[in-house]
Amino acid sequence: MMTFRTCSYEKELHQALKDGHWPEGCGQELRSHVDGCVKCSDLVLVTQTFQRARTESERATPCGSPSLLWWRAQLRRRNAAAERVSRPITIAQTFAWVVTVLVGVVFVASQYSHGLRWASWGSEFVPPRAFHLLRFGSGQVGWNFLLLISSFAVLALLSALVVYLAAEKS
Amino acid sequence: MRKPDTTGEYAIPNVGARGASRTDELPMDSDAFAGFYQRSAPGLRAYLVRVSGNTALADDLMQESYLRFLCASRPEGGEVNYRRYLYRIATNLLRDHWRRPGAACIEDVPEQFLAAQDRLSSIDSQATLEPALARMRPRERQLLWLAHAEGYSHREISEITGLSAAGIRLLLFRARRKIARLLRQQIAADRGKA
Repeated sequence: MMTFRTCSYEKELHQALKDGHWPEGCGQELRSHVDGCVKCSDLVLVTQTFQRARTESERATPCGSPSLLWWRAQLRRRNAAAERVSRPITIAQTFAWVVTVLVGVVFVASQYSHGLRWASWGSEFVPPRAFHLLRFGSGQVGWNFLLLISSFAVLALLSALVVYLAAEKS
Repeated sequence: MRKPDTTGEYAIPNVGARGASRTDELPMDSDAFAGFYQRSAPGLRAYLVRVSGNTALADDLMQESYLRFLCASRPEGGEVNYRRYLYRIATNLLRDHWRRPGAACIEDVPEQFLAAQDRLSSIDSQATLEPALARMRPRERQLLWLAHAEGYSHREISEITGLSAAGIRLLLFRARRKIARLLRQQIAADRGKA
């Protein structure tokens, strides 16, 4: 079982080792204590060995190019900023597409359930007839159709705008 | 309670952090960073090589540490704090590496993990540290290096590693005692050979 006890000289010795004052810069009392204290002699042995290893490592380490790292960091930062800016737009676009597709699907489904009248739609969009539809008193079916499409388009645009603003704010 | 992030226990401000939105400029200009890099890179690399025991991994992690350091908001204080922050990033990256599936856990890496091809070992092979360090666990190597090679206090090591200061005190005491015993054995063996 290992006992964990502190030595009253440990702090002083630690500081002396850190500052490089050991052993010449230390008093005789501390040096005598270290000779007889296992804990303090461990501290001296380990610290001096690690400090020597660090010095040797520093001499040996080949340094890379800091300018290349700096450039890569700048590139990464700019890419992240660009991604952050374009994220709300992408979300809004996706949402608008989803709403549009849903509206289309719902509309087609509703028309299908009431019987397909594709031919009559086509005839409504020929220029003379379309012109006719825009006038008051035109056919009720054409008006409803245009109103419905316009409403959904406005809804999709507004929804996309709301989502865009919310995403940008967050 | 600390917020977990992708690189470990500490949240490291990254490219998505608030600091990035303020400006596209890096927290340091190129010249200032070059100076900081020249002063800090050897120590950081030595730390990563000694703890990971893998030179290639250490080089990769060192580069990534500097990139994250540059992309993050500048920490408060001067170079001392920058350096500590850099060690924190590197330590989190090391931990992240060990947490990946397939990589060994920091507590389970065998003592013989230190790579034989490590260039550093050939340089200070005459020293007694290398064989003794090879018989320590990565966590012990990490704490010993930070405390005795870098000279960090328990509180600073706590900030870097995410361990409690009290836990570090005990772990460091045990690790120091263990490596001191191994170093003495190594010294005695070397003397016997001589």
